[in-house]
Amino acid sequence: MHEAKLCLSLLALAEQSLAQAGGGRIVGVRLEVGDFAGVAPEALAAAFPICAAGTAADGAALQIEIVSGRDLVLRDLEVI
Amino acid sequence: MCGVCGCEQEQHGVRRVAVERSLLEHNRTQAASLAKQLAAHGIDAIGLLGGPGAGKTALLEATFEAFGREAAASEAVIEGDCATDFDARRIAAKGVRVAQVATGSLCHLDAHLVEHALHDMNLLGVSRLWIENVGNLVCPAPFPCGESRRVVVISVAEGDDKPEKYPAMIAGADLLVISKADLLPYVDFDVARCIAGARKARPGLPALVVSARSGAGLDSWLAWVRGEGA
Repeated sequence: MHEAKLCLSLLALAEQSLAQAGGGRIVGVRLEVGDFAGVAPEALAAAFPICAAGTAADGAALQIEIVSGRDLVLRDLEVI
Repeated sequence: MCGVCGCEQEQHGVRRVAVERSLLEHNRTQAASLAKQLAAHGIDAIGLLGGPGAGKTALLEATFEAFGREAAASEAVIEGDCATDFDARRIAAKGVRVAQVATGSLCHLDAHLVEHALHDMNLLGVSRLWIENVGNLVCPAPFPCGESRRVVVISVAEGDDKPEKYPAMIAGADLLVISKADLLPYVDFDVARCIAGARKARPGLPALVVSARSGAGLDSWLAWVRGEGA
């Protein structure tokens, strides 16, 4: 239900990390989603391109890996 | 044309930037700092969670009635709902300090919303803060709000399979309250199955069977609230 808001947190964290890494454009985002995180990966995937429009991750591919646990972790970014 | 973005270049040098940070980290940090502040002021913060209509507010009403006049002096409540101040009015009718947070389309409270609500509240003399989350058995689970204990309320009308269906919420609980026990003769609800289901997600989870309407089980509930165990 709150996947769009989580996408905005994801993008804020991604843009912050991008700035720290010297900038560029994000073409790939790898996210780990815990099976107990209370989050639907399909809803995240649907919300991501809409939330990413106009950001440094516009058009980026979101790769979601399901792991056990309750957390949502941004693993890394693919930057050009 | 490159294969990444379709630009004119032959190929981009794609580099990998490691992040390894949680999206929930920001709220967790805020919640931990809020919990610390509340504890420093001698305020015991209890989170109340459960589906819409589980009886969270009714449990609070019964609790404040049992506390009597002492409740108005020492208790405070934050009510989270998508819309209306119905619950805040019910709490205020018991003479207890209350702030209503209307979340709009947001499906859960978070530490930021709670902190804002507290700014507008007079907490002088308050020793217990209740944070009643938006009625929802899914979304509030990964968002701590500064509470030190979490109570999940499931009514007998909802069904004994709910803890197994919503394990993430149960996994973060410190107590399961099975509410509306006065309805047990009229519904097919197996109390033992409900508790066993909850303990699959949270081994050893204490559970109480309570009726806010009849008062059954309230003594054990009040003892738990006062920190005397379940």
